[in-house]
Amino acid sequence: MRVILADDSTLLREGLARLLVDEGHEVTAAVGDAEALLEAIATDPPDIAVVDVRMPPTHTDEGLRAALEIREKWPGTGVLVLSQYVERRYATELLTTATEGVGYLLKDRVVQVDEFLDALDRVGSAGTAFDPEVVRQLLTFSSKVDPLQRLTDREREVIARMAQGHTNAAIAGQLNVSQSAVEKYVNSIFDKLELTDTTGYSRRVLAILRFLGT
Amino acid sequence: MRNLLARRLRVAAGVLLGSLSAVAELAMTLASGLWLLVTLGWSADDRRGETRILAAARWWAELQRRRMARWYDTGTADLAAPLTGMPALSYVATRWTVGLLGGVVLLAAVIGAGYASLLVWGWFLVDLDRWPLAVAPAAFGGLFLLFLCVQGVQAVALMDEQLIRHFLGPSDRQTLERRIGELARSRAGVVEAVHDERRRIERDLHDGVQQRLVALGMLLGRARRAPDPEKSSELLRQAHEASQQALVELRDVAWRVYPAALDEGGLAAALETVAERAAIPVRLSCELRDTPPPTAQAVAYFVAAEAVTNAVKHSGAEQVTVRAERAGELLRLRVEDDGRGGADASGSGLLGLSRRVAALDGTLSVASPAGGPTVITAELPCA
Repeated sequence: MRVILADDSTLLREGLARLLVDEGHEVTAAVGDAEALLEAIATDPPDIAVVDVRMPPTHTDEGLRAALEIREKWPGTGVLVLSQYVERRYATELLTTATEGVGYLLKDRVVQVDEFLDALDRVGSAGTAFDPEVVRQLLTFSSKVDPLQRLTDREREVIARMAQGHTNAAIAGQLNVSQSAVEKYVNSIFDKLELTDTTGYSRRVLAILRFLGT
Repeated sequence: MRNLLARRLRVAAGVLLGSLSAVAELAMTLASGLWLLVTLGWSADDRRGETRILAAARWWAELQRRRMARWYDTGTADLAAPLTGMPALSYVATRWTVGLLGGVVLLAAVIGAGYASLLVWGWFLVDLDRWPLAVAPAAFGGLFLLFLCVQGVQAVALMDEQLIRHFLGPSDRQTLERRIGELARSRAGVVEAVHDERRRIERDLHDGVQQRLVALGMLLGRARRAPDPEKSSELLRQAHEASQQALVELRDVAWRVYPAALDEGGLAAALETVAERAAIPVRLSCELRDTPPPTAQAVAYFVAAEAVTNAVKHSGAEQVTVRAERAGELLRLRVEDDGRGGADASGSGLLGLSRRVAALDGTLSVASPAGGPTVITAELPCA
Protein backbone atom coordinates (compact mmCIF):
# COMPACT_ATOMS: atom_id res chain seq x y z
CA MET A 1 0.00 0.00 0.00
CA ARG A 2 0.98 3.63 -0.41
CA VAL A 3 1.16 5.34 2.97
CA ILE A 4 1.61 8.91 4.24
CA LEU A 5 2.88 9.39 7.79
CA ALA A 6 2.12 12.47 9.91
CA ASP A 7 3.74 12.75 13.31
CA ASP A 8 5.68 15.62 14.85
CA SER A 9 8.25 13.29 16.37
CA THR A 10 10.99 12.72 13.81
CA LEU A 11 12.11 9.66 15.69
CA LEU A 12 8.75 7.96 15.39
CA ARG A 13 8.26 9.00 11.76
CA GLU A 14 11.56 7.45 10.80
CA GLY A 15 10.88 4.30 12.79
CA LEU A 16 7.44 3.85 11.27
CA ALA A 17 8.70 4.51 7.76
CA ARG A 18 11.41 1.87 8.12
CA LEU A 19 8.96 -0.61 9.55
CA LEU A 20 6.53 -0.09 6.68
CA VAL A 21 9.24 -0.29 4.06
CA ASP A 22 10.45 -3.54 5.67
CA GLU A 23 6.94 -4.88 5.19
CA GLY A 24 6.81 -3.91 1.53
CA HIS A 25 4.65 -0.80 1.79
CA GLU A 26 5.53 2.43 0.04
CA VAL A 27 5.86 5.58 2.16
CA THR A 28 5.03 8.46 -0.18
CA ALA A 29 5.58 11.22 2.37
CA ALA A 30 6.39 11.71 6.06
CA VAL A 31 5.39 15.08 7.50
CA GLY A 32 5.38 16.79 10.89
CA ASP A 33 2.17 18.81 10.97
CA ALA A 34 -1.43 18.80 9.74
CA GLU A 35 -0.94 21.51 7.14
CA ALA A 36 1.88 19.67 5.40
CA LEU A 37 -0.17 16.47 5.63
CA LEU A 38 -3.13 17.96 3.76
CA GLU A 39 -0.81 19.43 1.14
CA ALA A 40 0.93 16.11 0.61
CA ILE A 41 -2.38 14.30 0.25
CA ALA A 42 -3.71 16.89 -2.19
CA THR A 43 -0.72 16.45 -4.48
CA ASP A 44 -0.65 12.65 -4.31
CA PRO A 45 -3.48 10.86 -2.49
CA PRO A 46 -2.21 7.62 -0.89
CA ASP A 47 -4.19 4.55 0.15
CA ILE A 48 -3.89 5.40 3.80
CA ALA A 49 -2.67 8.20 6.08
CA VAL A 50 -1.32 7.38 9.53
CA VAL A 51 -1.93 10.51 11.62
CA ASP A 52 -0.87 11.50 15.11
CA VAL A 53 -3.63 13.34 16.98
CA ARG A 54 -1.37 15.87 18.68
CA MET A 55 0.65 17.95 16.27
CA PRO A 56 1.93 21.53 16.16
CA PRO A 57 1.04 24.31 16.62
CA THR A 58 -1.28 23.72 19.59
CA HIS A 59 -0.62 20.02 20.24
CA THR A 60 -4.27 19.32 20.96
CA ASP A 61 -6.28 17.66 18.19
CA GLU A 62 -4.89 19.02 14.91
CA GLY A 63 -4.33 15.49 13.66
CA LEU A 64 -7.91 14.51 14.29
CA ARG A 65 -9.24 17.60 12.47
CA ALA A 66 -7.01 16.77 9.52
CA ALA A 67 -8.18 13.14 9.58
CA LEU A 68 -11.83 14.19 9.43
CA GLU A 69 -11.08 16.55 6.55
CA ILE A 70 -9.25 13.81 4.67
CA ARG A 71 -12.18 11.45 5.06
CA GLU A 72 -14.49 14.08 3.62
CA LYS A 73 -12.35 15.27 0.70
CA TRP A 74 -10.48 12.13 -0.33
CA PRO A 75 -12.80 9.15 0.09
CA GLY A 76 -10.19 6.85 -1.43
CA THR A 77 -7.71 7.51 1.38
CA GLY A 78 -8.16 5.65 4.64
CA VAL A 79 -7.16 7.33 7.92
CA LEU A 80 -5.53 5.58 10.84
CA VAL A 81 -5.37 7.95 13.83
CA LEU A 82 -2.79 7.38 16.56
CA SER A 83 -3.50 8.85 19.97
CA GLN A 84 -1.61 9.15 23.25
CA TYR A 85 -4.72 8.39 25.25
CA VAL A 86 -8.05 6.81 24.65
CA GLU A 87 -10.36 9.70 23.95
CA ARG A 88 -13.90 8.51 23.48
CA ARG A 89 -14.76 11.84 21.91
CA TYR A 90 -12.22 11.28 19.15
CA ALA A 91 -13.42 7.79 18.43
CA THR A 92 -16.97 9.01 18.29
CA GLU A 93 -16.15 11.93 16.02
CA LEU A 94 -14.27 9.69 13.63
CA LEU A 95 -17.15 7.28 13.50
CA THR A 96 -19.81 9.88 12.95
CA THR A 97 -17.82 11.38 10.07
CA ALA A 98 -16.72 8.26 8.28
CA THR A 99 -18.41 4.95 7.77
CA GLU A 100 -15.36 3.07 6.57
CA GLY A 101 -11.64 3.41 6.10
CA VAL A 102 -11.10 4.78 9.59
CA GLY A 103 -9.05 3.49 12.47
CA TYR A 104 -8.21 4.73 15.94
CA LEU A 105 -5.28 3.17 17.76
CA LEU A 106 -3.35 3.96 20.88
CA LYS A 107 0.06 5.15 19.87
CA ASP A 108 1.72 2.46 21.94
CA ARG A 109 -0.04 -0.14 19.82
CA VAL A 110 2.59 0.48 17.15
CA VAL A 111 4.91 -1.57 19.33
CA GLN A 112 2.71 -4.61 18.70
CA VAL A 113 3.94 -4.68 15.15
CA ASP A 114 1.66 -7.51 14.00
CA GLU A 115 -1.48 -5.87 15.33
CA PHE A 116 -0.49 -2.51 13.93
CA LEU A 117 0.16 -3.88 10.45
CA ASP A 118 -3.10 -5.78 10.59
CA ALA A 119 -5.00 -2.62 11.52
CA LEU A 120 -3.23 -0.74 8.72
CA ASP A 121 -4.34 -3.35 6.20
CA ARG A 122 -7.93 -3.23 7.40
CA VAL A 123 -8.20 0.55 7.27
CA GLY A 124 -6.40 0.68 3.90
CA SER A 125 -8.94 -1.69 2.41
CA ALA A 126 -11.95 0.35 3.55
CA GLY A 127 -12.42 -1.54 6.79
CA THR A 128 -12.16 -0.25 10.37
CA ALA A 129 -9.71 -0.79 13.17
CA PHE A 130 -10.34 0.27 16.71
CA ASP A 131 -7.92 -0.21 19.54
CA PRO A 132 -8.88 -2.96 21.99
CA GLU A 133 -8.45 -0.38 24.74
CA VAL A 134 -10.87 2.01 23.04
CA VAL A 135 -13.40 -0.75 22.65
CA ARG A 136 -12.93 -1.87 26.23
CA GLN A 137 -13.64 1.62 27.47
CA LEU A 138 -16.63 2.01 25.23
CA LEU A 139 -17.99 -1.24 26.51
CA THR A 140 -17.22 -0.39 30.12
CA PHE A 141 -18.43 3.17 30.24
CA SER A 142 -21.30 2.84 27.86
CA SER A 143 -24.32 4.77 29.00
CA LYS A 144 -26.53 1.99 27.70
CA VAL A 145 -25.31 -0.77 29.93
CA ASP A 146 -28.54 -2.69 30.21
CA PRO A 147 -28.55 -4.54 26.89
CA LEU A 148 -24.87 -5.36 27.38
CA GLN A 149 -25.66 -7.01 30.67
CA ARG A 150 -27.67 -9.57 28.75
CA LEU A 151 -24.68 -10.79 26.75
CA THR A 152 -22.90 -13.98 27.71
CA ASP A 153 -19.14 -13.87 28.30
CA ARG A 154 -18.56 -15.52 24.95
CA GLU A 155 -20.74 -12.97 23.20
CA ARG A 156 -18.87 -10.21 24.92
CA GLU A 157 -15.57 -11.54 23.58
CA VAL A 158 -17.04 -11.66 20.12
CA ILE A 159 -18.53 -8.14 20.19
CA ALA A 160 -15.29 -6.70 21.51
CA ARG A 161 -13.36 -8.23 18.62
CA MET A 162 -15.98 -7.19 16.14
CA ALA A 163 -15.82 -3.67 17.41
CA GLN A 164 -12.10 -3.65 16.85
CA GLY A 165 -12.83 -4.37 13.23
CA HIS A 166 -12.01 -8.07 12.92
CA THR A 167 -13.89 -10.21 10.42
CA ASN A 168 -15.93 -13.19 11.51
CA ALA A 169 -13.28 -15.48 10.08
CA ALA A 170 -10.55 -13.77 12.08
CA ILE A 171 -12.61 -13.94 15.26
CA ALA A 172 -13.24 -17.62 14.70
CA GLY A 173 -9.48 -18.12 14.43
CA GLN A 174 -8.80 -16.11 17.57
CA LEU A 175 -11.37 -17.94 19.66
CA ASN A 176 -10.69 -21.35 18.19
CA VAL A 177 -14.26 -21.89 17.08
CA SER A 178 -15.82 -22.41 13.66
CA GLN A 179 -16.91 -19.48 11.57
CA SER A 180 -20.53 -20.58 11.64
CA ALA A 181 -20.39 -20.56 15.45
CA VAL A 182 -19.18 -16.98 15.34
CA GLU A 183 -22.00 -16.07 12.98
CA LYS A 184 -24.42 -17.57 15.47
CA TYR A 185 -22.95 -15.45 18.28
CA VAL A 186 -23.14 -12.36 16.10
CA ASN A 187 -26.79 -12.90 15.29
CA SER A 188 -27.60 -13.51 18.92
CA ILE A 189 -25.74 -10.31 19.87
CA PHE A 190 -27.74 -8.33 17.36
CA ASP A 191 -30.94 -9.77 18.70
CA LYS A 192 -30.03 -8.86 22.25
CA LEU A 193 -28.85 -5.36 21.33
CA GLU A 194 -31.95 -4.86 19.21
CA LEU A 195 -29.92 -3.99 16.15
CA THR A 196 -31.18 -4.76 12.70
CA ASP A 197 -28.75 -6.93 10.84
CA THR A 198 -27.43 -4.66 8.11
CA THR A 199 -25.22 -5.90 5.34
CA GLY A 200 -21.62 -4.82 5.12
CA TYR A 201 -19.23 -5.63 7.85
CA SER A 202 -17.92 -2.17 8.75
CA ARG A 203 -21.41 -0.79 9.03
CA ARG A 204 -22.20 -3.35 11.64
CA VAL A 205 -19.16 -2.35 13.64
CA LEU A 206 -20.12 1.23 13.18
CA ALA A 207 -23.63 0.55 14.37
CA ILE A 208 -22.33 -1.19 17.44
CA LEU A 209 -19.81 1.47 18.27
CA ARG A 210 -22.29 4.23 17.73
CA PHE A 211 -24.76 2.40 19.82
CA LEU A 212 -22.23 2.01 22.62
CA GLY A 213 -20.25 5.17 22.32
CA THR A 214 -22.78 7.93 21.81
CA MET B 1 27.41 68.64 52.64
CA ARG B 2 26.24 70.71 49.70
CA ASN B 3 23.54 68.10 49.04
CA LEU B 4 22.34 68.29 52.61
CA LEU B 5 22.16 72.08 52.46
CA ALA B 6 20.22 71.97 49.18
CA ARG B 7 17.80 69.44 50.67
CA ARG B 8 17.22 71.54 53.78
CA LEU B 9 16.64 74.63 51.66
CA ARG B 10 14.16 72.72 49.50
CA VAL B 11 12.22 71.59 52.56
CA ALA B 12 12.27 75.12 53.92
CA ALA B 13 10.86 76.40 50.63
CA GLY B 14 8.11 73.79 50.88
CA VAL B 15 7.29 74.87 54.43
CA LEU B 16 7.25 78.50 53.32
CA LEU B 17 4.75 77.74 50.57
CA GLY B 18 2.77 75.69 53.08
CA SER B 19 2.64 78.60 55.51
CA LEU B 20 1.43 80.92 52.74
CA SER B 21 -1.24 78.34 51.91
CA ALA B 22 -2.41 78.55 55.53
CA VAL B 23 -3.86 82.00 54.88
CA ALA B 24 -6.03 80.70 52.07
CA GLU B 25 -6.95 77.64 54.12
CA LEU B 26 -8.06 79.73 57.06
CA ALA B 27 -10.27 81.79 54.76
CA MET B 28 -11.69 78.67 53.13
CA THR B 29 -12.34 77.04 56.47
CA LEU B 30 -14.20 80.04 57.84
CA ALA B 31 -16.24 80.57 54.68
CA SER B 32 -17.27 76.96 54.23
CA GLY B 33 -17.88 76.52 57.97
CA LEU B 34 -20.22 79.50 57.98
CA TRP B 35 -22.00 78.26 54.88
CA LEU B 36 -22.47 74.80 56.30
CA LEU B 37 -23.86 76.30 59.53
CA VAL B 38 -26.30 78.50 57.67
CA THR B 39 -27.57 75.70 55.46
CA LEU B 40 -27.79 73.14 58.23
CA GLY B 41 -31.56 72.88 58.14
CA TRP B 42 -32.03 73.15 54.39
CA SER B 43 -33.27 70.46 52.13
CA ALA B 44 -30.82 68.58 49.93
CA ASP B 45 -31.90 70.47 46.81
CA ASP B 46 -30.96 73.83 48.29
CA ARG B 47 -27.60 72.56 49.51
CA ARG B 48 -26.08 71.99 46.11
CA GLY B 49 -23.36 74.47 46.95
CA GLU B 50 -21.93 71.86 49.29
CA THR B 51 -20.63 69.74 46.44
CA ARG B 52 -18.85 72.79 45.09
CA ILE B 53 -17.22 73.41 48.45
CA LEU B 54 -16.15 69.80 48.70
CA ALA B 55 -14.79 69.83 45.15
CA ALA B 56 -12.77 72.91 45.98
CA ALA B 57 -11.44 71.22 49.11
CA ARG B 58 -10.47 68.17 47.06
CA TRP B 59 -8.68 70.33 44.53
CA TRP B 60 -6.88 72.18 47.30
CA ALA B 61 -5.82 68.98 49.06
CA GLU B 62 -4.44 67.67 45.77
CA LEU B 63 -2.51 70.93 45.35
CA GLN B 64 -1.00 70.43 48.81
CA ARG B 65 -0.09 66.84 47.98
CA ARG B 66 1.76 67.99 44.90
CA ARG B 67 3.54 70.70 46.87
CA MET B 68 4.84 68.09 49.30
CA ALA B 69 5.79 65.65 46.57
CA ARG B 70 7.67 68.47 44.87
CA TRP B 71 9.52 69.99 47.83
CA TYR B 72 9.78 67.36 50.54
CA ASP B 73 12.07 64.36 50.38
CA THR B 74 9.83 61.57 51.55
CA GLY B 75 7.13 60.23 49.36
CA THR B 76 3.61 61.47 49.36
CA ALA B 77 3.63 60.35 45.77
CA ASP B 78 1.94 57.07 46.72
CA LEU B 79 -1.12 58.91 48.00
CA ALA B 80 -4.01 58.77 45.61
CA ALA B 81 -5.89 61.95 44.86
CA PRO B 82 -8.59 62.30 47.52
CA LEU B 83 -11.71 60.56 46.32
CA THR B 84 -14.19 61.90 48.81
CA GLY B 85 -14.78 65.52 49.66
CA MET B 86 -15.45 65.40 53.38
CA PRO B 87 -12.02 64.18 54.52
CA ALA B 88 -10.50 66.75 52.17
CA LEU B 89 -12.49 69.53 53.83
CA SER B 90 -11.51 68.28 57.29
CA TYR B 91 -7.93 68.27 56.11
CA VAL B 92 -8.10 71.86 54.91
CA ALA B 93 -9.76 72.87 58.19
CA THR B 94 -6.86 71.44 60.22
CA ARG B 95 -3.95 72.08 57.91
CA TRP B 96 -3.87 75.82 58.41
CA THR B 97 -2.62 75.20 61.96
CA VAL B 98 0.43 73.37 60.64
CA GLY B 99 0.87 76.03 57.99
CA LEU B 100 0.77 78.72 60.65
CA LEU B 101 3.25 76.81 62.78
CA GLY B 102 5.53 76.56 59.78
CA GLY B 103 5.27 80.32 59.30
CA VAL B 104 6.14 80.94 62.96
CA VAL B 105 9.13 78.60 62.80
CA LEU B 106 10.42 80.25 59.64
CA LEU B 107 9.97 83.68 61.20
CA ALA B 108 11.89 82.54 64.29
CA ALA B 109 14.59 81.20 62.00
CA VAL B 110 14.91 84.58 60.35
CA ILE B 111 15.09 86.28 63.78
CA GLY B 112 17.71 83.75 64.92
CA ALA B 113 19.72 84.30 61.78
CA GLY B 114 19.50 88.07 62.32
CA TYR B 115 20.86 87.80 65.87
CA ALA B 116 23.50 85.32 64.78
CA SER B 117 24.72 87.80 62.20
CA LEU B 118 25.65 90.14 65.08
CA LEU B 119 28.78 88.01 65.26
CA VAL B 120 29.84 89.61 62.01
CA TRP B 121 28.82 93.21 62.27
CA GLY B 122 27.82 93.69 65.96
CA TRP B 123 31.34 94.66 66.98
CA PHE B 124 31.26 97.74 64.82
CA LEU B 125 27.77 98.82 65.78
CA VAL B 126 27.52 98.27 69.51
CA ASP B 127 29.44 100.44 71.96
CA LEU B 128 31.39 97.69 73.71
CA ASP B 129 32.54 100.02 76.44
CA ARG B 130 28.98 100.56 77.69
CA TRP B 131 27.60 97.06 76.85
CA PRO B 132 30.61 94.76 77.23
CA LEU B 133 28.52 91.62 77.25
CA ALA B 134 25.93 92.59 74.64
CA VAL B 135 27.16 91.05 71.40
CA ALA B 136 28.30 87.52 72.23
CA PRO B 137 25.22 86.24 74.18
CA ALA B 138 22.80 87.73 71.66
CA ALA B 139 24.72 86.32 68.72
CA PHE B 140 25.11 82.86 70.25
CA GLY B 141 21.49 82.90 71.36
CA GLY B 142 20.56 83.70 67.76
CA LEU B 143 22.70 80.86 66.48
CA PHE B 144 21.01 78.49 68.89
CA LEU B 145 17.58 79.70 67.85
CA LEU B 146 18.54 79.24 64.21
CA PHE B 147 19.65 75.68 64.92
CA LEU B 148 16.37 74.90 66.69
CA CYS B 149 14.38 76.34 63.82
CA VAL B 150 16.28 74.38 61.20
CA GLN B 151 15.24 71.26 63.10
CA GLY B 152 11.77 72.72 63.51
CA VAL B 153 11.37 73.15 59.77
CA GLN B 154 12.05 69.44 59.34
CA ALA B 155 9.52 68.65 62.04
CA VAL B 156 6.88 70.85 60.44
CA ALA B 157 7.44 69.14 57.09
CA LEU B 158 7.01 65.79 58.82
CA MET B 159 3.80 66.95 60.50
CA ASP B 160 2.58 68.27 57.19
CA GLU B 161 2.99 64.83 55.63
CA GLN B 162 1.53 62.95 58.55
CA LEU B 163 -1.51 65.18 58.50
CA ILE B 164 -2.30 64.61 54.83
CA ARG B 165 -1.67 60.90 55.27
CA HIS B 166 -4.01 60.83 58.23
CA PHE B 167 -6.89 62.43 56.36
CA LEU B 168 -6.34 61.23 52.84
CA GLY B 169 -3.95 58.29 53.01
CA PRO B 170 -5.14 54.73 52.79
CA SER B 171 -6.74 53.55 55.99
CA ASP B 172 -5.51 50.33 57.59
CA ARG B 173 -8.47 48.66 56.03
CA GLN B 174 -7.62 49.92 52.56
CA THR B 175 -4.01 48.85 53.01
CA LEU B 176 -5.21 45.40 54.02
CA GLU B 177 -7.60 45.24 51.12
CA ARG B 178 -4.85 46.19 48.72
CA ARG B 179 -2.62 43.48 50.17
CA ILE B 180 -5.41 40.93 49.97
CA GLY B 181 -5.90 41.84 46.33
CA GLU B 182 -2.20 41.34 45.68
CA LEU B 183 -2.25 37.99 47.44
CA ALA B 184 -5.31 36.80 45.56
CA ARG B 185 -3.69 37.74 42.28
CA SER B 186 -0.41 36.05 43.08
CA ARG B 187 -2.20 32.97 44.34
CA ALA B 188 -4.15 32.68 41.11
CA GLY B 189 -0.88 33.18 39.30
CA VAL B 190 0.79 30.37 41.20
CA VAL B 191 -2.07 28.01 40.48
CA GLU B 192 -1.81 28.93 36.81
CA ALA B 193 1.95 28.45 36.86
CA VAL B 194 1.58 25.03 38.45
CA HIS B 195 -0.93 24.05 35.79
CA ASP B 196 1.40 25.22 33.06
CA GLU B 197 4.21 23.18 34.53
CA ARG B 198 2.11 20.09 34.76
CA ARG B 199 1.18 20.49 31.14
CA ARG B 200 4.81 20.90 30.27
CA ILE B 201 5.78 17.79 32.21
CA GLU B 202 3.06 15.78 30.50
CA ARG B 203 4.26 17.00 27.12
CA ASP B 204 7.85 16.26 28.06
CA LEU B 205 6.95 12.70 28.96
CA HIS B 206 4.97 12.12 25.80
CA ASP B 207 7.08 13.93 23.27
CA GLY B 208 10.34 12.69 24.72
CA VAL B 209 10.31 9.54 26.77
CA GLN B 210 7.26 7.87 25.26
CA GLN B 211 8.34 8.47 21.65
CA ARG B 212 11.68 6.89 22.40
CA LEU B 213 10.08 3.90 24.06
CA VAL B 214 7.69 3.43 21.17
CA ALA B 215 10.56 3.66 18.71
CA LEU B 216 12.42 1.10 20.81
CA GLY B 217 9.42 -1.20 20.81
CA MET B 218 9.14 -0.88 17.05
CA LEU B 219 12.78 -1.79 16.60
CA LEU B 220 12.31 -4.88 18.74
CA GLY B 221 9.14 -5.77 16.86
CA ARG B 222 10.97 -5.45 13.56
CA ALA B 223 13.87 -7.51 14.91
CA ARG B 224 11.47 -10.29 15.76
CA ARG B 225 9.91 -10.20 12.32
CA ALA B 226 13.17 -9.88 10.43
CA PRO B 227 13.63 -12.77 8.01
CA ASP B 228 17.42 -13.18 8.35
CA PRO B 229 19.48 -13.29 11.56
CA GLU B 230 21.92 -10.67 10.33
CA LYS B 231 19.24 -8.03 9.92
CA SER B 232 17.67 -9.11 13.18
CA SER B 233 20.88 -8.66 15.14
CA GLU B 234 21.47 -5.24 13.55
CA LEU B 235 17.99 -4.18 14.63
CA LEU B 236 18.66 -5.50 18.14
CA ARG B 237 21.86 -3.45 18.28
CA GLN B 238 19.86 -0.35 17.32
CA ALA B 239 17.24 -1.22 19.91
CA HIS B 240 19.88 -1.49 22.58
CA GLU B 241 21.12 1.98 21.69
CA ALA B 242 17.60 3.33 21.64
CA SER B 243 16.97 2.00 25.13
CA GLN B 244 19.97 3.93 26.43
CA GLN B 245 18.75 7.09 24.74
CA ALA B 246 15.35 6.58 26.33
CA LEU B 247 17.03 6.41 29.73
CA VAL B 248 18.95 9.62 29.10
CA GLU B 249 15.72 11.29 28.04
CA LEU B 250 13.96 10.09 31.17
CA ARG B 251 16.72 11.46 33.36
CA ASP B 252 16.50 14.80 31.57
CA VAL B 253 12.77 15.03 32.06
CA ALA B 254 13.05 14.15 35.74
CA TRP B 255 15.71 16.81 36.08
CA ARG B 256 13.54 19.44 34.46
CA VAL B 257 10.75 18.56 36.87
CA TYR B 258 13.00 19.06 39.88
CA PRO B 259 16.78 19.21 40.00
CA ALA B 260 17.89 16.89 42.78
CA ALA B 261 21.10 18.91 43.21
CA LEU B 262 19.07 21.75 44.73
CA ASP B 263 18.44 19.71 47.84
CA GLU B 264 21.87 18.18 47.98
CA GLY B 265 24.22 21.00 47.07
CA GLY B 266 22.02 24.10 47.16
CA LEU B 267 21.62 26.81 44.56
CA ALA B 268 25.28 26.97 43.56
CA ALA B 269 25.41 23.27 42.70
CA ALA B 270 22.14 23.43 40.78
CA LEU B 271 23.30 26.47 38.81
CA GLU B 272 26.49 24.63 37.91
CA THR B 273 24.43 21.91 36.28
CA VAL B 274 22.55 24.58 34.32
CA ALA B 275 25.89 25.82 33.07
CA GLU B 276 27.06 22.30 32.24
CA ARG B 277 23.93 21.48 30.28
CA ALA B 278 23.82 24.67 28.27
CA ALA B 279 24.93 24.50 24.66
CA ILE B 280 26.84 27.81 24.92
CA PRO B 281 29.37 28.94 27.55
CA VAL B 282 27.79 30.12 30.80
CA ARG B 283 29.82 32.26 33.21
CA LEU B 284 28.66 31.64 36.72
CA SER B 285 29.22 33.59 39.91
CA CYS B 286 27.46 32.63 43.10
CA GLU B 287 28.18 34.78 46.16
CA LEU B 288 25.81 33.80 48.91
CA ARG B 289 26.88 34.66 52.44
CA ASP B 290 24.40 32.23 53.91
CA THR B 291 21.89 29.70 52.69
CA PRO B 292 18.70 31.34 51.39
CA PRO B 293 15.38 29.63 52.15
CA PRO B 294 14.76 26.55 49.95
CA THR B 295 11.77 28.10 48.19
CA ALA B 296 13.79 31.16 47.18
CA GLN B 297 16.63 28.93 45.98
CA ALA B 298 14.25 26.79 43.92
CA VAL B 299 12.60 29.79 42.25
CA ALA B 300 16.00 31.37 41.58
CA TYR B 301 17.14 28.12 39.99
CA PHE B 302 14.08 27.90 37.74
CA VAL B 303 14.48 31.51 36.69
CA ALA B 304 18.12 30.84 35.78
CA ALA B 305 17.31 27.60 33.96
CA GLU B 306 14.52 29.16 31.93
CA ALA B 307 16.51 32.30 31.12
CA VAL B 308 19.54 30.30 29.99
CA THR B 309 17.35 27.98 27.91
CA ASN B 310 15.69 30.99 26.26
CA ALA B 311 19.05 32.60 25.58
CA VAL B 312 20.35 29.42 23.93
CA LYS B 313 17.15 28.87 21.92
CA HIS B 314 16.12 32.33 20.80
CA SER B 315 18.75 35.00 21.33
CA GLY B 316 21.65 33.71 19.26
CA ALA B 317 23.90 34.62 22.17
CA GLU B 318 27.49 33.45 22.34
CA GLN B 319 27.74 33.71 26.09
CA VAL B 320 25.49 33.95 29.12
CA THR B 321 26.40 35.35 32.52
CA VAL B 322 24.55 34.16 35.60
CA ARG B 323 25.07 35.99 38.91
CA ALA B 324 23.49 35.02 42.20
CA GLU B 325 24.15 37.26 45.20
CA ARG B 326 22.70 38.41 48.47
CA ALA B 327 21.63 42.05 48.53
CA GLY B 328 20.52 42.78 52.07
CA GLU B 329 17.37 40.79 52.66
CA LEU B 330 17.13 39.88 48.99
CA LEU B 331 18.47 37.05 46.91
CA ARG B 332 19.25 38.65 43.57
CA LEU B 333 19.68 36.57 40.46
CA ARG B 334 20.81 38.21 37.26
CA VAL B 335 21.05 36.50 33.89
CA GLU B 336 22.57 38.43 31.02
CA ASP B 337 23.23 37.29 27.48
CA ASP B 338 24.95 38.97 24.55
CA GLY B 339 22.26 38.00 22.07
CA ARG B 340 19.98 39.98 19.82
CA GLY B 341 17.41 40.93 22.48
CA GLY B 342 13.72 41.37 21.82
CA ALA B 343 12.67 38.79 24.42
CA ASP B 344 8.93 38.74 25.04
CA ALA B 345 8.22 39.19 28.74
CA SER B 346 4.63 38.06 28.23
CA GLY B 347 5.70 34.77 26.64
CA SER B 348 4.56 31.68 28.46
CA GLY B 349 7.92 30.80 29.97
CA LEU B 350 8.71 34.23 31.37
CA LEU B 351 5.12 34.75 32.47
CA GLY B 352 5.19 31.53 34.48
CA LEU B 353 8.44 32.65 36.08
CA SER B 354 7.12 36.06 37.03
CA ARG B 355 4.14 34.37 38.66
CA ARG B 356 6.39 32.14 40.70
CA VAL B 357 8.50 35.11 41.71
CA ALA B 358 5.41 37.14 42.61
CA ALA B 359 4.26 34.30 44.84
CA LEU B 360 7.32 34.91 47.02
CA ASP B 361 6.68 38.69 46.99
CA GLY B 362 9.69 39.10 44.75
CA THR B 363 10.09 41.02 41.53
CA LEU B 364 11.15 39.88 38.08
CA SER B 365 12.32 42.39 35.53
CA VAL B 366 13.10 41.71 31.91
CA ALA B 367 15.11 44.22 29.92
CA SER B 368 15.58 43.16 26.33
CA PRO B 369 15.94 45.98 23.82
CA ALA B 370 16.19 45.04 20.16
CA GLY B 371 19.84 44.36 19.48
CA GLY B 372 20.37 43.10 23.01
CA PRO B 373 21.64 42.54 25.55
CA THR B 374 18.88 40.76 27.42
CA VAL B 375 19.03 41.10 31.20
CA ILE B 376 16.65 39.17 33.42
CA THR B 377 16.75 40.05 37.11
CA ALA B 378 14.86 38.31 39.86
CA GLU B 379 14.85 39.67 43.41
CA LEU B 380 13.53 37.30 46.04
CA PRO B 381 12.99 38.21 49.68
CA CYS B 382 14.76 35.88 52.10
CA ALA B 383 13.25 37.09 55.35
